[in-house]
Amino acid sequence: MNSPDSPSLRPPSPNSAWQIWLNPIFLRYCRSRLRPQGLAVSLLISVLFAGFIFFMARGIGEYRADLKAQDAERAAFVPLLVFQAIILFIFGTAQVAGGMTAESDEGVIDYQRLIPMNPLAKVLGYLFGLPVREYAMVLATLPFTAWSVWKGGISASVWVPLYIVFCSSALTYHFTGLVAGTVVKNRRWAFLVSIGLVFCLYTVIPQMARFGLVFFKYLTITPVFQECLPGMLPNTAGTIVATGQRLAPAVKFFNLDFSEMVFTLFSQGGLILTILVMLCRRWRRTESLLLGKLWATGFFIWVQTLLLGNAMPLVDSGKIFPTREFSRVTKIFSGGWAPQSWEAVAMSAAYGFATLVFLFILIRIITPSTDIQIRGWRRARKQGKSSLPPLSDAATAFGFVLVMALAGAGGWFIFTRAVIESRWFPGHEVPLHVWGIFTVAMVSCGLGFHALLEAKGGKVVGLAAIFVGVVPLMLGAILSVSSNRLLPAASWLIAISPASVPIYASATLLSITELPPNVARAVPRAFYFWQAVSVLVTLWLIVQLRITRKAIAQRGVAARPDEP
Amino acid sequence: MTSTPAIDIRSLRVDYGNFVAVDDLTLSVPPGEVFGLVGPNGAGKTSTFRVLTTLLEPTYGEVILSGVDVLEDVEAARRIIGYMPDLAPVPSDLKVWEFLEFHAAAYHLGSRSQRRERVAECLAEVALTEQRESWCKELSRGQTQRVVLAKTLLHRPSVLILDEPASGLDPLARRDLRQALRKLADAGATVFVSSHILSELAEMCSSLCVMNRGKLLASGTAQEVRDQMGSDVRAIIVCLLDRQQDAATWLKSQKSVHDLRLVDQQILFNFTGSDDDQADLMEGLIRLGARLKSFEEKRSSFEDILVEVAETNRRA
Repeated sequence: MNSPDSPSLRPPSPNSAWQIWLNPIFLRYCRSRLRPQGLAVSLLISVLFAGFIFFMARGIGEYRADLKAQDAERAAFVPLLVFQAIILFIFGTAQVAGGMTAESDEGVIDYQRLIPMNPLAKVLGYLFGLPVREYAMVLATLPFTAWSVWKGGISASVWVPLYIVFCSSALTYHFTGLVAGTVVKNRRWAFLVSIGLVFCLYTVIPQMARFGLVFFKYLTITPVFQECLPGMLPNTAGTIVATGQRLAPAVKFFNLDFSEMVFTLFSQGGLILTILVMLCRRWRRTESLLLGKLWATGFFIWVQTLLLGNAMPLVDSGKIFPTREFSRVTKIFSGGWAPQSWEAVAMSAAYGFATLVFLFILIRIITPSTDIQIRGWRRARKQGKSSLPPLSDAATAFGFVLVMALAGAGGWFIFTRAVIESRWFPGHEVPLHVWGIFTVAMVSCGLGFHALLEAKGGKVVGLAAIFVGVVPLMLGAILSVSSNRLLPAASWLIAISPASVPIYASATLLSITELPPNVARAVPRAFYFWQAVSVLVTLWLIVQLRITRKAIAQRGVAARPDEP
Repeated sequence: MTSTPAIDIRSLRVDYGNFVAVDDLTLSVPPGEVFGLVGPNGAGKTSTFRVLTTLLEPTYGEVILSGVDVLEDVEAARRIIGYMPDLAPVPSDLKVWEFLEFHAAAYHLGSRSQRRERVAECLAEVALTEQRESWCKELSRGQTQRVVLAKTLLHRPSVLILDEPASGLDPLARRDLRQALRKLADAGATVFVSSHILSELAEMCSSLCVMNRGKLLASGTAQEVRDQMGSDVRAIIVCLLDRQQDAATWLKSQKSVHDLRLVDQQILFNFTGSDDDQADLMEGLIRLGARLKSFEEKRSSFEDILVEVAETNRRA
């Protein structure tokens, strides 16, 4: 039936994964999503809306706002960009996530798993194929933009970086949609999750940036948009914005200066690469963990570096503090502004909290289940090995979690020290023992979570998250609003939750903290007491983990589970 | 001369958490055979197939297809496998020829014209040439099965793995499928096919095996499986032209006779004795002076065997 020369035995054609125009998955979606009838309707809607936006903006500029002809032509540029962003960022991302889920929903994804294409080619086929109609819709609006650029005299130094970041942002969101579609099983949920992610990026993430987590805003088009804004607006408005922007020059990364575009591309590039690795791993083997241990650890350290690199140069100028931004917005900033001490504590706590959440997410990704461990042992046994390769999915993630927790504690300490020991808070310092306590807090939370997950499985972790993570917070909140007398008891209760650890640590250890008198005694005591408990529980969980892994290794080494 | 088995499964086990879907399955299928895997729902058929097709990594065991270890060399294994999953899913947004053309391109089956030619060949093979321009979603269940079979044949796989290919097919379509599979096997391909209907497989397979709750219960030719799995109880129908009442009374007194019923001229009962006992029983009836018209032994049918297996599961 099958001679060696027959097509089925030939290795896959050398078409590079990057030759997207030859990619069968891309072509399959071009065929199904660019059918004349559907495409014509989509293009008609795009052109109608783009035309409406263009002529309205131009008309208002020329006839109502009495702008010069060139300025009036410029007026349509930004609204058109927003329209294109809606098409590509929201509809495109939703289409990618929904389309990916539909593949598994219909059951055809197994066919795609079996076809002899490399995982990268499959990912790229879906990435560019699923939103191909949205690309066409954006293309249909481009003549209006081109007219606006040409007649409005918008410089290439303005629109080129803007559209480069527009494309890289679209790719980032589409990649995120692909992950959502791969992980989420329900089509509607995948759709909602992907749209929710984009929505969060433009609403929640900028708020995080105000608390010192500046890096996250570079996952959006906003910084480049703001940088380019003066060149896109009518001249008078543009001049005002440009004057305002002189107060906020290029991105600083430690001691380096980058343009907004370069830094945004750099930030988004890292995320894209990580998501690409996740998707390729899943295409190679469905049971694979989303990220390898080394990659996850590297990614964690990379994000820590970006967070610190972006935040630290902004401390001395005060731009990192939330009230500074607020003062600018409300125009009460008059040169006499100084950050409040609570801001510094809150920022330290926010940094620690974000680091802890990120650590938990990565631990969830790299911790092997029992099934993965047994399969790993079967493979090791077959290859004549007496132990699991340390970087394999089945190997324990213990060491990597430890490294990440140490890195996280280090980043948290450096950030806190930079804020507290800045010129804004003279006389305050963060001694080295704080780093030690941050490390204990981060390591006990991280390793405890990891050991519980690896030894007992996801269900137990879910229950623990509810009863140890959430319930104490809820009960504490109820007590705290019931009566002022109950505030100390509430402080003790809330301290049980690992989510409160960064907040308690910052509030307890920083000399700048000003707690209300009725909780000032309770918070440090609760923090130290529950930290001691947490360390003991973590040690016990680590012992349990060792026992469980040993048992799994014995099961895995046997050819069959009933073999001695 | 010993040829390499087309499918060689050794001590296969698949766990989903604490649930054991396939338990210590060992099987060997020679090339060019149509081999059936039968079992009630939840027997472990689909899990076995997912391991064979590289879609699922087993907990233990080894699977070798035409000399290729599917767990070690996934890409090579995928090139020799043709897989048709249960329910034969098709994309709702493609036409029949587009669906096949996409797979032909993905398997790198030559130039565009060569691919079109191969698509036409496969459509003809499953008698769907006329439906070439139809939307996949508009096909009947039987036609959908055939489209997916055509897709499975496109790259000329040497091992075909078909999960419940006959479910939902009318008798005519089943006959066509049977002939198509036979033709493929004659051409050298090995066909591994599953069903929860044993009689259906018995018709189309040269040999088969029965699985239940992850374990292999019996394997061999259809007759061998029936012998291995058939119940010790035989249903016997005796037709007498007279003295039915006397014969019934005498039969009731025999220790191996159970559940006796008298219906017109016929006496129906279950018999648990040996072949010698059965011969004695017939001789005794003749000695009784009754005019014996027929003495028919009814062995367990394939359906009876599977019903028994399924009912055991339900009771457990």
